[in-house]
Amino acid sequence: MSSNNRWRVRTFSTALAAAFSFALAQQPASAATASYWFAGTNLVFSKTQSRAGEVAVAIDDPGFTRFLIKLNATVAYDPAQRLIIVTSGDRRVITFTLGDKGFTNGSARGRAPFAPYLAGGTAYVPFLTLAKALYVVPVFDAQTIVLQPQIGGLDVRTRDRVTTVTFSSAAPLRFKRLSSAASERLTLAFSGVSSTLEAKRRVAGSAELHGVSIKTSGSARNPTTTIVFDASPLTVYALANADSPNVVAIAFARNGVALNGTPIPDSGDAASIVATAPPQTIATPTAEYAPAGAEVPAEAAIPPPALVAPVVVTSLDLAATDSGLNVRVGVSGPVRYEWHRLGDNRWYVDLKDATLGIPGRDEQPPGTAATGLRVKQLAGDPDPTVRIAFTLASSRQVDVVANDSGFTIAIAGGDDLDGPRVGAGRVAGGTLISSAPLASPGDLWSTPGLSHGTVPTNPKLIVIDPGHGGSDTGAAHNGLTEKVLNLDISMRLRSILVARGWQVKMTRETDADVSAPNASAHDELQARCDVANNAGARMFVSVHINSYTSSSLNGTTTYFYKDSDRALADAVHRRLTGLGTADKGVRKESFYVIHHTTMPATLVETAFLSNAGDAALLKSPEFLQKVAAAIADGLGEYAANNPLNTTSLPSPPGS
Amino acid sequence: MKGLRAVVVAAVLVVAAYLAYRYLLQPPRHTADTITVYYCKTDGETLLPWKVSLRQPLAHESGAEYRKSVAFYAAAQTLAGPPASVEAIRFPIGTVVHSVTLAGSTAIVDLGGTIAHSTGGSFAEGGEFKALVWTLTALPSVTAVQVEIDGSKVASLPGGHLELEQPLARSNF
Repeated sequence: MSSNNRWRVRTFSTALAAAFSFALAQQPASAATASYWFAGTNLVFSKTQSRAGEVAVAIDDPGFTRFLIKLNATVAYDPAQRLIIVTSGDRRVITFTLGDKGFTNGSARGRAPFAPYLAGGTAYVPFLTLAKALYVVPVFDAQTIVLQPQIGGLDVRTRDRVTTVTFSSAAPLRFKRLSSAASERLTLAFSGVSSTLEAKRRVAGSAELHGVSIKTSGSARNPTTTIVFDASPLTVYALANADSPNVVAIAFARNGVALNGTPIPDSGDAASIVATAPPQTIATPTAEYAPAGAEVPAEAAIPPPALVAPVVVTSLDLAATDSGLNVRVGVSGPVRYEWHRLGDNRWYVDLKDATLGIPGRDEQPPGTAATGLRVKQLAGDPDPTVRIAFTLASSRQVDVVANDSGFTIAIAGGDDLDGPRVGAGRVAGGTLISSAPLASPGDLWSTPGLSHGTVPTNPKLIVIDPGHGGSDTGAAHNGLTEKVLNLDISMRLRSILVARGWQVKMTRETDADVSAPNASAHDELQARCDVANNAGARMFVSVHINSYTSSSLNGTTTYFYKDSDRALADAVHRRLTGLGTADKGVRKESFYVIHHTTMPATLVETAFLSNAGDAALLKSPEFLQKVAAAIADGLGEYAANNPLNTTSLPSPPGS
Repeated sequence: MKGLRAVVVAAVLVVAAYLAYRYLLQPPRHTADTITVYYCKTDGETLLPWKVSLRQPLAHESGAEYRKSVAFYAAAQTLAGPPASVEAIRFPIGTVVHSVTLAGSTAIVDLGGTIAHSTGGSFAEGGEFKALVWTLTALPSVTAVQVEIDGSKVASLPGGHLELEQPLARSNF
């Protein structure tokens, strides 16, 4: 950039900052709403406050949620660590800490005008600081602040005679090819995004590409960025796989050099060539970045935001009845629960994804129905869980009944005759959505068995871990996504095992992270191990699909880590071979989930979704069912051949 | 007398010729010519040893500096993979070695680039790190490899499988 241009940019930036400060100064000290023009629509934030000359927005503000959805970005609040974690569409992680002006943006650090804070139980973040970190810049246009998505990242690297240029944008990228297919000069126009990247960049050390020119035109509300790639004669180019719809990568090589990628179409979007993006990001409507005049989806079309914060237990009132006890529990929203009746007159209910908004309790409740009550937030559980536990005076009947503000635990005067068991349900808006017993009658906890640490082994319990999930897509090739297939097979496996009399616990039952979205690998993998370890599972199986950069590899591999688990891996693998995939054998590998689980554990890599033949099998529900049945057979065979070493235990189901 | 002089002259000539050969004509001796870089074949098991040449230590380069440089070179060669015609499990294109530090018998390898957000399969992970560990533990006094990603210890790669929190040794594979 010439010094003249730099001066212009500096002058423009200074003027913009001054104008912005002026505009913010006009806002009331505690603004209730703020509105911006963004992606063809007026974006209204209803939960905002003014702080230090900037706008603070609540992370559960519906307008803010829409803003993030359009950018393919997500936000998560970790109350334990006081972290607000935003993942941008180009998969950078921006992390704020409550009470700290400093924040991290990928490997870079930044400083906000004010520190994020809690108000009314909701975290507020400096909105414009966050927007800029997401490559969205505020621009004035006719008395309106326009939030303009930008191409904010440019990376050029040459390796093995291939030069790859990668652009990262705030928004999913849609492009139109302006140059002919035969032209050495490739010109792409990206609609809906601007750029403040250097106008010209010379590419040093590349024989294939001389330079890249970037120019933004159009209006503030509908900008277009045109990028010209000045390639050498006899150079070929292709779209390379990127890991986000917000990223476009183009590879250049001399004719004759192998180039991985797809030919560049006349028009397209990055989502169509994304190899590993989560499905929800692909589903984001890129039409919102269409030129002016295009139809803008109605607000109702925007999917509702995911629950960011867990449900809060807001109250707990005790009332003795004639011979029983009613415990009225107030919750802030829909909540899942799981109750357990133990064999020694203990009964407890776990509220899932819930936090305790009142002090914990450990007391003797009024009346004679129960001799003890404990209410606490469970430590070490992968999901925030509130436990309400009773020591009953005798084997009293206990029911969960919905009420307007939550539910009531009703301890009756009469005795329960059904013995130890488990149940689960969901309460929302004063309605008991579902309530059902879990598995077959039997005490999950009091059956004597092999002890793994402090938790006794439940000889009937198998934990199934569908690999990846939520923010972690796993591999994706041939139109297949690993996390989806893992869950599909696992759910089939659960049905088979339950039908055979096993109790089954899943590390996840939906497309969700087990720990938290974008949690560290340690937290995520350990959370999966904790599910099995804390439940005292007898066996653990992690279901995965393999992939490789080359489509030539195929086959089934079964892994173990602890030498004592070899027999389990062998038993499962024997059943998996013969389903039509190549046999890649049983291997010992230090995979986290089979190392840190305390019971016999195996990890199954069913097939390679990167291989056309294996992918065709994986697209067949019949094959997935066979895989699930084979794993179930293998687990059953192992259990039959390796009975727990106590004669008081029941035979394993199905054996 | 003449005969004695001739013998002395001949002896001086022989010594001079030897010294000229020893110090002027003979090429300098090398301390270590090559190291072995390992690549993992696509069966996920077999290792392919590959000899690569080393540069000589620079003037004023300490032994520790040279060993560190060799370790970095070894790691970089592993990531680069064998020639394209050779089938081997390869690190994702765009993976870089930030640094290699030798701490006692452990080589701390800081990787970054593509692998920092890679979601490859477990099969590739096993082959990639098997190759890296075998290569670095082939260096004198190195018995284990601690992998870091962008300067930090990680439990595994993002979306990964292989445990990377603790140093890896050949016995892990």
